[in-house]
Amino acid sequence: MRRARFFTVTKRVFKDLKNDKRSLALIVIAPIFVMFVFGLAFSGEVKNVKVVVVNQDQGAAVAGGGTMSLSEKIISNLDAEVLKLEYADDRDAALAQVENGDAYAAIIFPSDFTSSALAVIDDRSSGSSTDIELLLDKSNINVANAITKAVNDALLATIDQAGMQTPVKVETEAVFGQNAKFMDFFVPGIMAFAVYMITTLLTLVTFVGERTSGTLQRMLATTLNERDIVMGYAAAFSIIGIGQAILLLLVGILVFDITVVGNVLLAFLVIALLAIVSQALGILLSSTARREAQAIQVLPFVVLPAFLLAGIFWPIEAIPTWLRPLSYLVPPTYAVDASRAVMLKGYGIGKIWIDIVALLAMAAVFLTLAVWSLRTRKD
Amino acid sequence: MNEGASGYMIEAHGLVKRYGKFTAVDHLDLQVNKGEIYGLLGPNGAGKTTTIKVLCGLLKLSGGEAYVNGKPIPDRRIAAQIGYMPQETALYLGLTVHQNMAFFGEIFGLTKREIGERERDLLEFINLSGWRDEMVGNLSGGMKHRVSLACALIHMPPLLLLDEPTVGVDPELRVSFWDYFNDIKSQGRTIVITTHYMDEAGHCDRIGFMHNGLLIAEGEPGELLVMTGTDNLEDAFMSFSASDRKGAEQ
Repeated sequence: MRRARFFTVTKRVFKDLKNDKRSLALIVIAPIFVMFVFGLAFSGEVKNVKVVVVNQDQGAAVAGGGTMSLSEKIISNLDAEVLKLEYADDRDAALAQVENGDAYAAIIFPSDFTSSALAVIDDRSSGSSTDIELLLDKSNINVANAITKAVNDALLATIDQAGMQTPVKVETEAVFGQNAKFMDFFVPGIMAFAVYMITTLLTLVTFVGERTSGTLQRMLATTLNERDIVMGYAAAFSIIGIGQAILLLLVGILVFDITVVGNVLLAFLVIALLAIVSQALGILLSSTARREAQAIQVLPFVVLPAFLLAGIFWPIEAIPTWLRPLSYLVPPTYAVDASRAVMLKGYGIGKIWIDIVALLAMAAVFLTLAVWSLRTRKD
Repeated sequence: MNEGASGYMIEAHGLVKRYGKFTAVDHLDLQVNKGEIYGLLGPNGAGKTTTIKVLCGLLKLSGGEAYVNGKPIPDRRIAAQIGYMPQETALYLGLTVHQNMAFFGEIFGLTKREIGERERDLLEFINLSGWRDEMVGNLSGGMKHRVSLACALIHMPPLLLLDEPTVGVDPELRVSFWDYFNDIKSQGRTIVITTHYMDEAGHCDRIGFMHNGLLIAEGEPGELLVMTGTDNLEDAFMSFSASDRKGAEQ
């Protein structure tokens, strides 16, 4: 009897959506749109950065005739995807380009680069060394880091190829996410974010409508109680949330060629839980608004913290320590963490149970508050 | 207490509803007989809507007690016996007439067939048979009002609580609304209706005048006119509210 009653509300939400093409478009198109915009524009990888190279290296004669140039080897090892190389004749010309903003960096090899380097290798006790000069525009941290990394990588690769021995080497092996691209990391995050944002927005606006049009009062004057209504909405939006997750996953696999190693059903469960939390939050927030326009005013407070703190674009570890506790107050944080762990690392429920418990606890709190917010209207 | 023994459809003793310090309904005593049309009359802010909402279980009582069909309120189970038509349109504009009626029918556990049959009768009753599959949002205000009435009737409740059902309704439609109400009454059902149109209150079997949360007079329309020596209910109301004020000052 109770089940049937709240299901009546669920059915009505779906009928309403079926007739309402705009909301339907919001549910279907918005998440895909968000995914494309961020997936294409914000790939997280820095590419085609203009860098000026000044190579004054004279090279050095080697045994068996001919000359060898270490600088050329290093230049050829620079990642051509990241750096777009141009050449200049002297340091001043290169520096001028960086200062003008024409280039992000200048890489300068001194004239005695190869010979000094070889001298150091021949006589390690000499204590001298030679330098590659890197004039760097550090105003854009991401770009600066990418350039530094490209130069260091090229240097290491050259040393390796030359068969020179370095005292210490780092061996890296991927425990998880071998060949993982930014999109592999991003899709689980955007899945959670899109479901959270759209579910909250949609319930918020729909519920303000229920309040202002009088349909909420009419429902409450029937045998339905506050819990039936909240549960009816929760059921509807968890189903919608799973639908959105499936859609995003399909686009992720088909268009962005993401790799999924774990059980997607577990990821869907997490997303469904997030949808329930979000719709309860939407109902709760609707009690603060008298008109739909007022509902829109609370949106930045719903969307921005999740956008910035939930670990969608960058890890929570990249957020200042004092701000991190706030991350654990926004619901998508747990869903992002769990679905990423499941999809990228193949974790099972045994390893993401903390996230699930956190989401269940939030669902319990927000559902209770949502029911309470409907009940207090009677006072 | 004397539950149900009285045979009243509604029985309230000392009903009080306060919002903070403001008393919207002040020790209201009310008896509505089964099968009558009872009109709650009074200006805006008199406490009519609050009274209806308390009877529907939409508001908590601050004091006193009330029974609907012999059962103490608030009690969710009584909801099935009440058809409530709120002041607002209170329909889903994005759903069709049929979908709205079916939704409110399903809440009360009606089967598809029951809904189908009642819907046909009700649409005929409100002269909207051809509009079953039209979006409610596309209907005129008067049509929405009629659909709203039909939604309150779909589960065949013995008691109808209608809050200002004729506000914003053109005079012609208002006449047909009273025809509907008399039809419903003739089926043995009870109607409590609030209005601030004194002229149409003459259609009610009995009238209660509300003023500042108090029931200041009650009776058949004719009786009230005789008591005050007036020839219309508007003047009758003025006469009662004036003496109420005088009483309060003394």
